[in-house]
Amino acid sequence: MQTSFEHFAVASMMGQPDTPPRANGSLCFHQPWERQAFGLAVALAREGHFEWEDFRQALITEIAAWEATHARDDPGWDYYECWLTALECVMQAHVIPSLTEA
Amino acid sequence: MTDRFAYPPDREARNAARVRALEALLIAKGVITNQTVDKVMQTFATEMGPFNGAKLVARAWTDDAFKALLVTDTMAAVAQLGLPTGAAGAEGEHMRAVANTPQVHNLIICTLCSCYPWPVLGLPPYWYKDPSFRARAAREPRAVLKEFGLDVDPAKEIRTWDSSAQIRWFVVPERPDGSQGLSEDELAELVTPEAMMGVAVALPKAA
Repeated sequence: MQTSFEHFAVASMMGQPDTPPRANGSLCFHQPWERQAFGLAVALAREGHFEWEDFRQALITEIAAWEATHARDDPGWDYYECWLTALECVMQAHVIPSLTEA
Repeated sequence: MTDRFAYPPDREARNAARVRALEALLIAKGVITNQTVDKVMQTFATEMGPFNGAKLVARAWTDDAFKALLVTDTMAAVAQLGLPTGAAGAEGEHMRAVANTPQVHNLIICTLCSCYPWPVLGLPPYWYKDPSFRARAAREPRAVLKEFGLDVDPAKEIRTWDSSAQIRWFVVPERPDGSQGLSEDELAELVTPEAMMGVAVALPKAA
């Protein structure tokens, strides 16, 4: 039987110096858009356009909604898609209204 | 029907287009520039990562007073070594370290989303965010650790620490046997991100 974390255990046993998926100093995103979505959320929060906690709550909502409608091991799971939808929600609520005022 | 048919084949392209639309709007309105994301990501690549956590752990292994500070006032210990503490709110201003002992093995998780002590560990690996890992690590940590190749002594208690808006946890692993006489830098090389998440332990250098 395959276990969810088998790939990790195998890599560890084989003694790879850089255990997956993150080597010191280099980041791991599967697609460039994931990196952009991550960076946008962090940048907007750092610059005070929304509170990180507001984003976090939006992300929790998106993840919970996905988990409520899918099996835990559904191969269609896409963390950064949840992240992106959460970012759109927070922008709609906190960023876009102030843009139209300006 | 299997789930793979439930998603449009151009899912990645659609998501990429959604991100581009957000970024284009923010640039057009002058909220960010086209370099903003790159600048943020640069700080993750160079300033915030498991190399920081490894320095904290190595110092804790060689200095009992520092270890006591690390687990009681983590942010003061981070500041004492001149390491980044993260921007307010977003990134780790409430980091807390928990130390493994001969009696207790600690494991960090985030059951609701993916909170993680970015300044000391960098970004979490993909399985940390996985729905099955998040659910199972809370419910049956011992079985999950075994799947990671870590067979925790049945006599040892396993404590799971669920990260939250208030606190982002990381683990101070036990100093491995056979590491006597190593310098602090050499000790830091033994500290892996996985050991600081509690899905592994620190091992002496492979011969």
